[in-house]
Amino acid sequence: MGEKIVITGAGIVSALGVGKGETAETLLAQRTGVGALQYLRTSHKEFPVGEVKLSDEEMKEMCGIAGEPTTRTSLMGILAMKEALEESGLTAESRPVLVSGTTVGGMDKSERYYLDYLENDSKNAYIRTHDCGATTELIADHFGIFTMVTSISTACSSAANAIELGANLIRSGQTEVAVVGGSECITKFHLNGFNSLMILDREQCRPFDGTRAGLNLGEGASYLVIETESSAKRRGVKIIGQLSGYGNACDAFHQTASSEDGEGAYLAMSKALRMAGLRPEDIDYVNAHGTGTPNNDASESEALKRVFGGRMPMVSSTKGLTGHTTSASGSIEATICLIALQGHFVPGNYGWKTPMESGITPVGENRTGQAMRHIMCNSFGFGGNDSSLIISEYGERG
Amino acid sequence: MGNVDRRRIYIKRATHISIQSPMSESWMREPRLTRESYVRSEDPQFREWLNPMESRRLSNILKRALVTAIKVKRDSGIEQPEAVITGTGLGCIENTELFLNQLCREGEELLKPTYFMQSTHNTVSSLIGINGKIHGYNSTYSHKGVSFDSALMDAIVQMRLGDINNALVTGNDEITPTYFSILKRSGYVGQEGQVPAGEASVAMMLTTDAEDTLCEIEDFKMVYRKENIGEDTLNTAGPVDAILMGLSGERSNDEAYRDIEGKLPKAPILRYKHLFGESYTASGLGVYAAAQMLKEGTVPAVMRVDGGEPIEGVRRIFVVNHSDGREYTFLTMRRAE
Repeated sequence: MGEKIVITGAGIVSALGVGKGETAETLLAQRTGVGALQYLRTSHKEFPVGEVKLSDEEMKEMCGIAGEPTTRTSLMGILAMKEALEESGLTAESRPVLVSGTTVGGMDKSERYYLDYLENDSKNAYIRTHDCGATTELIADHFGIFTMVTSISTACSSAANAIELGANLIRSGQTEVAVVGGSECITKFHLNGFNSLMILDREQCRPFDGTRAGLNLGEGASYLVIETESSAKRRGVKIIGQLSGYGNACDAFHQTASSEDGEGAYLAMSKALRMAGLRPEDIDYVNAHGTGTPNNDASESEALKRVFGGRMPMVSSTKGLTGHTTSASGSIEATICLIALQGHFVPGNYGWKTPMESGITPVGENRTGQAMRHIMCNSFGFGGNDSSLIISEYGERG
Repeated sequence: MGNVDRRRIYIKRATHISIQSPMSESWMREPRLTRESYVRSEDPQFREWLNPMESRRLSNILKRALVTAIKVKRDSGIEQPEAVITGTGLGCIENTELFLNQLCREGEELLKPTYFMQSTHNTVSSLIGINGKIHGYNSTYSHKGVSFDSALMDAIVQMRLGDINNALVTGNDEITPTYFSILKRSGYVGQEGQVPAGEASVAMMLTTDAEDTLCEIEDFKMVYRKENIGEDTLNTAGPVDAILMGLSGERSNDEAYRDIEGKLPKAPILRYKHLFGESYTASGLGVYAAAQMLKEGTVPAVMRVDGGEPIEGVRRIFVVNHSDGREYTFLTMRRAE
């Protein structure tokens, strides 16, 4: 990889709170954001979820948005992006591009108004906010600084792949600065879809636990500002981390299940290491995809063992705290990795008690006082869209 | 595309399933023209391409995506592309609607996983990966009228960087009668004087190998908001023989092209949506059509907006696309030497 790609801003909204400060506090307190359903209109009250603890109206007010049609996904996106842009001091002058990941897009409105779309003109404004691109443009137009925008939709690895495209655009010289990440609200559509696949746990989820029985859905948004090192220096902004490698591979196995040997995950992690020029033992911590489904955690364990062999780094899944934030999870967890890097701690794998058969043993409780250099962050999507990022401590030489 | 090594990029093979005769270039000689406001694609004999289980289980968009991908892989002799990248504006909307309908009419109790499993946007690229055991880079773009263009951009960037040497790039959208009625309400299709709403399945193999190709992709740019289109955005490497635009007869769509016409090189203007219909990934069919015209060195008269004669010896086509007059793409394509 030529010039370093550095991170100069990050913003996050999830069940853990709004902003990196609140998120760090909640992570350190190991206080889960997963709980009884409060905002989503559904009859499935039995499933715990990691909702952002704000109504659409409250978020609109925080964003200063009045009448116009919005989606919950775009509102969370605006909140998260505001923090990232402010931290990075990014303005239109840098001619940034935006790459955003989402899959539900405006489905929160479509599932409410679909019959109106079919039968009358009362909700026409929301027809145009249905698709993924519309949500991205709602976010982009709120800030009005982007010279190119696009949307990635690879299910639960969308935001990770958005980070990859942004980085490739920078490497190719197409832009110096990219805002990358994803946003996704919980919808009745995918809550019911996941339920029909029988992968939701009725209890608090327990990634990598022997008794794990499924995932809890979460929601949120997170964006990172990434740029060339020279751009960051020219702009005189603080560098908070480095994106040192990434990899995308396809499991090519099944639309809604991961292969037993975790081939896609293995390939994605291996590519990321190769790009970063790192050996497996250089990785201090892996923020696993770790959804809590029997299938994912077994497959990911296998892949991790293939990559790291006998030298397994610290591994944890933070989805017991955030819920599975689906398309946003790649950037939400990348930002959690940045928080961990800066705060010198490894967030514990909330919900874990008993080891699973032939699985990895995650870090159960928080480990503080951990000076780390390289963190790997995994995101795997339906269809075997597997991606892995490596976020490193920034050093002038390293 | 910036300051990296300008590795040359070619379209080796490309095919389509659309309003025109499937997986054929017969539209160049015998184009189908229709006054309907909504026309579904003409499907090939799927059973010649797919096994009985695939034919039965897969939705239409997935069958079309798979068959066009299989044909392009076979014709280009690249069974294991290093990347599979798809653009789709609405994803698998038929299954999405089937699931939504059940959800809205029958409630949340008796939903089966079948529709949901084939309802996401990335189902298409994943299926191509699963079917061909292709473990390389795999991604999906969903951004309105520049969904295909985004997929193309991803492939071009990775090829220019030297990360990959070839990529299967596809564009897929389907439109059901109900979704046509919905999009008609929003003003996107079905308007007075507008070309028909169509469906699009297009697949093309990009390579860095110059041998036996349809054409070269010289340059690609994507720009959000008209005010960001700078002088350098529209520089082409040389004279342009024709400009291909997504004119559709719908007023605001066509105005967005006319708005920037003054900035474009001077050349006869071509259209393709009157043959291939309007859809979020129609631009993929435009790129396909341009590639085939460059291969044959001919622009059929039916493509010309001014009703002029066929253009022979065509060497360079400038392809302009936009989405809602908000995002523009500019693609320079050249006849392979």
